[in-house]
Amino acid sequence: MVDPGLLIDQLITGISIGSTLFLIAVGLSLIFGVLEVLNFAHGALYMVGAYVVIVTINDFPGGFWVGVLLATLVVGLIGVVIEMGFLRRVYDREDLDQLLLTFAFVLIITDSVRNIFGSGSNVVDPPALLRFDLTLAEGISIPGYRAFVIVMSLVVMGAILLTLRVTNFGRIVRATSSDREMAGLLGINVPRLYTIVFFIGAALAGLGGALVTPLQSVTPELGNQVIINAFVVVVIGGLGSFTGAFVGAYLIGIMIAVGSLFTAGAGQLFPFVALIAVLLLRPEGLFGGVEA
Amino acid sequence: MTTVLETEDLERQFGKLMAVDGVSVSIDSDDVTSIIGPNGAGKTTFYNLLSGRLDPTGGSVKLRPRDGTELVDVTGQTPYEINRLGLSRAFQINNVFEGLSVIDNLRVARISRTDRSLNLSDIARSDPELSEEAREIIEMVNLEGLEQTKCANLSHGDKRKVEVALALGTDPTVVLLDEPTAGMNATETERMVNLVEEINEQTDTTFVLTEHDMEVVLGISDRVLVLDNGALIADGTPDEVMADERVREAYLGGEL
Repeated sequence: MVDPGLLIDQLITGISIGSTLFLIAVGLSLIFGVLEVLNFAHGALYMVGAYVVIVTINDFPGGFWVGVLLATLVVGLIGVVIEMGFLRRVYDREDLDQLLLTFAFVLIITDSVRNIFGSGSNVVDPPALLRFDLTLAEGISIPGYRAFVIVMSLVVMGAILLTLRVTNFGRIVRATSSDREMAGLLGINVPRLYTIVFFIGAALAGLGGALVTPLQSVTPELGNQVIINAFVVVVIGGLGSFTGAFVGAYLIGIMIAVGSLFTAGAGQLFPFVALIAVLLLRPEGLFGGVEA
Repeated sequence: MTTVLETEDLERQFGKLMAVDGVSVSIDSDDVTSIIGPNGAGKTTFYNLLSGRLDPTGGSVKLRPRDGTELVDVTGQTPYEINRLGLSRAFQINNVFEGLSVIDNLRVARISRTDRSLNLSDIARSDPELSEEAREIIEMVNLEGLEQTKCANLSHGDKRKVEVALALGTDPTVVLLDEPTAGMNATETERMVNLVEEINEQTDTTFVLTEHDMEVVLGISDRVLVLDNGALIADGTPDEVMADERVREAYLGGEL
């Protein structure tokens, strides 16, 4: 029998892992939902976000928070360059070409970062403001920074849902995601909208990568590690569904954390078992086919 | 009488096939114009050339912009740019935003028309002007009471109405309808015909439609254009066109 205290600890860890997974999966899902592009480079963008924080802390004044802000902006702008300079030219081709193009960016970005910063790992301390433990109940506590990341993931989810449901921009995004040709015929500037959506998706990857730095050591391989789990999350949740990405991320996070209680390595096994089960029983994903 | 849309020697070639072969027409704002022709005559390609979905391999398309008096050459422009000038289009298959409610569909058209798309602070639920405009169009096409219904749950006839409403939602000078009564029963067909006639009288919008149902064509049109093998073979009032030898041969010969 598993010790209940340990189980609760692992549940909290799982939710914490889930919130970082959500921050990467949500941008992936957004870009797929609107542009119908499976962005392999999303993990690499996430990793760049983490390096922007490290560079800011080491070489510029301002520290962690400025780094997070810069990471969001810089990675968003890299996204704009990728979309306007390259991706835009292959929308009309088959999916494989788009996939290969984003994969090329994975290689280019990962190797560039390795070239500049080396392949050693970097560690970042949580900002001083959040260096405390939050006591939830007797004997159960959570590091302040982890709690902050969980709150951030909820804030991002809330902001995205609110934007999509009640703003004009959100209506245009939903309409274009439902039928891009019809949107164009109605006078919506679809190419511009694509660039904006790619910017937002990439910026979210940058934000996610920046926020994960105090939780995980940063290497050029960071992107490749997270992209697999991010794909598992969006496939389980349903490609293009934000609610799906949200629920999927927390499910996977909890599976990883609680699963590792049973046997060593089981943590990484459960997400893939879940993936296979979803693909067999409900290929559209738990929330697939439902509009955001 | 004002010309709102004009083509000159419009051509589109697919490999060796001339899908649209040197068509020159000018559409008058006073008329409801129907384009007829057997299957494969080039009607859809012609529409695609007018709306910018396809680029012509020859000739030109000119459109009178919403707030202009002179025709503007729109050859080679994107659907988005052409729509901005005042041409909108409804499709043969239901083309509405299925996951959005009826009123959100219309809001999208209005947002696009009035360039409010990037105004994040403009929360549309509390944007009474936008909702009001959307409601006016919903009333125009007699969809009152269905504002909050998701389009995926509408009947075929009502979806077509949303489509017409969407086309009207961007204040177009010209609306292209592609077989507006396809798949409709007799009652729905009659309602759609009445609707087009009403809106045509109430607004400055000029309607152009393709149609298979000859009864609809003869009932609604002031002018009929006949395409066959990509070429314009007749152009005139419904009576004139029906009396035309080539039309009887090319079109009705096959069908009657």
